[in-house]
Amino acid sequence: MKIFLLAALLGSAGFGAAQVTDQDLRKGPDENWLTYVGDYAGHRYSPLNQINRSNVARLSPKWVRHIDTQADLETTPLVYRGVMYVTNSNEVYALDAVTGREIWRYAATGVRRRGVNRGAAMLGDSIYFETSDCHLIALRRANGGFLWDRDFAAADRAYSCTGAPLIVKDKVIVGVASSGKACFIAALSTTTGEEIWRFRTVPKPGEPGSDSWGTLPLDWGSAPAWTTGTWDPDLNILYWATGNPWPDFGGDRPGDNLYSDCVLALDPDNGKLKWYFQFVPHDTHDWDANETPVLLNADFGGRARKLLVQANRDGFYYILDRTNGEFLLAEPFVHKLNWARGVDSKGRPIVATNMDPSSGGVRVCPSVHGATNYWAPSLNAALGLLYVVSLEECETYYSSAQKPVPNSGFRGTGHTSIPSEPGEFFLRALDVKTGKLRWEYPMPGPTTMWAGAVATAGGLVFTADDSGDLVALNAETGADLWHFYMGSNLKASPMAFAVNGQEYITIAAGSNIFMFGLPQ
Amino acid sequence: MRPGTTLAAFAVLSAQLLPGQLGRTGPPSAANPLARDQPAVEAGQKQFQQLCAGCHGRSGQGGQGEGQGPDLMNSWEVRRASDTELMNWIHNGVKGTAMPAFTLASDQIRQLAAFVRSLNAPANSVPVEGSIANGESLFYGKAGCGACHMIRGRGGYLGPDLSNAGLEHRLSELRGAILNPAALSISGYRPILLAGGVRGVVKNESNWSMQVLDETGQIHLLHGEEMKSARLQSGSWMPADYVRRLSPNEIDDIVAFLSRQAVRVEESDRQPQRPPRGEPN
Repeated sequence: MKIFLLAALLGSAGFGAAQVTDQDLRKGPDENWLTYVGDYAGHRYSPLNQINRSNVARLSPKWVRHIDTQADLETTPLVYRGVMYVTNSNEVYALDAVTGREIWRYAATGVRRRGVNRGAAMLGDSIYFETSDCHLIALRRANGGFLWDRDFAAADRAYSCTGAPLIVKDKVIVGVASSGKACFIAALSTTTGEEIWRFRTVPKPGEPGSDSWGTLPLDWGSAPAWTTGTWDPDLNILYWATGNPWPDFGGDRPGDNLYSDCVLALDPDNGKLKWYFQFVPHDTHDWDANETPVLLNADFGGRARKLLVQANRDGFYYILDRTNGEFLLAEPFVHKLNWARGVDSKGRPIVATNMDPSSGGVRVCPSVHGATNYWAPSLNAALGLLYVVSLEECETYYSSAQKPVPNSGFRGTGHTSIPSEPGEFFLRALDVKTGKLRWEYPMPGPTTMWAGAVATAGGLVFTADDSGDLVALNAETGADLWHFYMGSNLKASPMAFAVNGQEYITIAAGSNIFMFGLPQ
Repeated sequence: MRPGTTLAAFAVLSAQLLPGQLGRTGPPSAANPLARDQPAVEAGQKQFQQLCAGCHGRSGQGGQGEGQGPDLMNSWEVRRASDTELMNWIHNGVKGTAMPAFTLASDQIRQLAAFVRSLNAPANSVPVEGSIANGESLFYGKAGCGACHMIRGRGGYLGPDLSNAGLEHRLSELRGAILNPAALSISGYRPILLAGGVRGVVKNESNWSMQVLDETGQIHLLHGEEMKSARLQSGSWMPADYVRRLSPNEIDDIVAFLSRQAVRVEESDRQPQRPPRGEPN
């Protein structure tokens, strides 16, 4: 009889399971880590301090969990009440965070692509993730049970999705990428997946900005939105960054190519554009502006201001007033930067001559990978330092007479490395109010890493280096305090969490999830 | 039709067959234009009952005695065969086995092959006899399936989520799970009683930890000594008496309902593609 009583009780399942609330998400990391970046401001900072400068030398691996994948993992795990949620291409794992043991695995069926995936989002007793072909799937967090699937790109095969969704109140914010097709950011209902609004990153004909593409059809242009944005709940502004215009290296698109390489300030309730700032008008070097827009309040120019800062793929560190998009500062954070002589008073780059790709090739710095990339930055607001994985590298960019075709994989020509001038990675600590370098940690290696950082209240910053190590550095000086070789190329960013009062550090490395803690 | 083939139809596609006996010509193809044609599958089912069931069983589950036809519902050879091969086996028989040749019209052979193919197809793509609506009522009502199984967020936690049951399982598997649950693997669903008598299932276990999901949707992460607070149970929470509690028609209805639970039906048979080259994002 008991079974039948339960059937009635469980008519709408979910009772008993703890609920992640809007307030939990606004609070930011504590023992839990509930969003890709950790908090809405993009600080990627953990207040945990049990692992600190005095004991980090004793940090040791607790478990390793292999994930069956061909591509290196790029995910940042989420942790809620001792359960870790890890994404891979088109699948989600729930693991016991202390032991690494699997609780459930959900593998999406019928997906038309495989790609990378950077993480999930959660609210209530649901967990959300994007498939590589741009479906948003909602699962019951306790058992991985399927709730619904929303094909938010309307089965358009031109689009791909790799980012972690962002929960803003009752909406799930998602973005798409493409190799040609005009991209978009969309808000979907957290309960049904129904689309509530959509913002096209390439305007439709007649809309503001539509005259910035020359004769290029406005169904093209790409301007992808492939990373996760940030949100200021007080201003109720969503900040979402966009990538480069298509064809990547030039072609028939004279003009600024709005809204490529921008940070967009959107009303999360209706998707209306409040302001935008374009870092690289008419980009011809694939310098996506998809790096995290970091939000902080600080004195600037003698008065308290609400700032948005971003270390951009183009090599400049930018400070904007996030209430209105006013440009305040741009400072190079890499030495190898030859494409612009600086920026003008509005923040528009003063582009050097002959920097466009040419048939004979032209040496341009930064390289196509950028001075930084999606490699997650981290802010220690108390120290006033933004930690940025930075790449000093130049490349030769070529043009082609071949006509680019959307979604063909041909981006309008190519780029090659310069063997006599190998790139070099650094973790750089930038003064968040000036962009000036405070310290740097060199990372020798083959320049194949794509990892980010996390700073903690233990006076540490964890990052992965270009030779396959997870490292712990003194957050104030950059001194190397601990390292562990993980035997893999590193394309993900570390994060910190705690279970039953014990702090842990985790990172995806190659096809494995590693977890570290202090000896018991 | 040749004499003596009425009941011997489709006999003995033995598991021991060598590839040469089957005349393998290549990987599966879509040579049968009726392979996914629902009326053709149903017509093939009728022919199967007349011509093939004697050896292969009414549902294609295989004959019982020596010399009887093999199970066509769980046949690796059938799944791997191209449509052309399947039709050739019917038309020409299988050399060295009791499977005779059938002289049938081309369309009849195509219909038979379409039905045999459907036996190995996901339940969602196969015609069903039961009432889907009745099955849903039974699932959440009299049969009590929904107490333990969840479909699109409705139901319990102790059994596997069945939101995609129609694509993940064949009809025979769905029916078998109800009629003979003892044959199911309980990996990930081993029954356990937690403190206070709350029922749970063991999602994972080792000598040092156990991960348990209880009937209310709570996850219990038991480490070390904490594992002693829970008591493992024998068997499964899945009732073993459905065959007595439910009528054959009711079981048909539940199977029909489950067979139509599917996520992304239209794309289920497409293979994942890598994204276009050149996009690092």
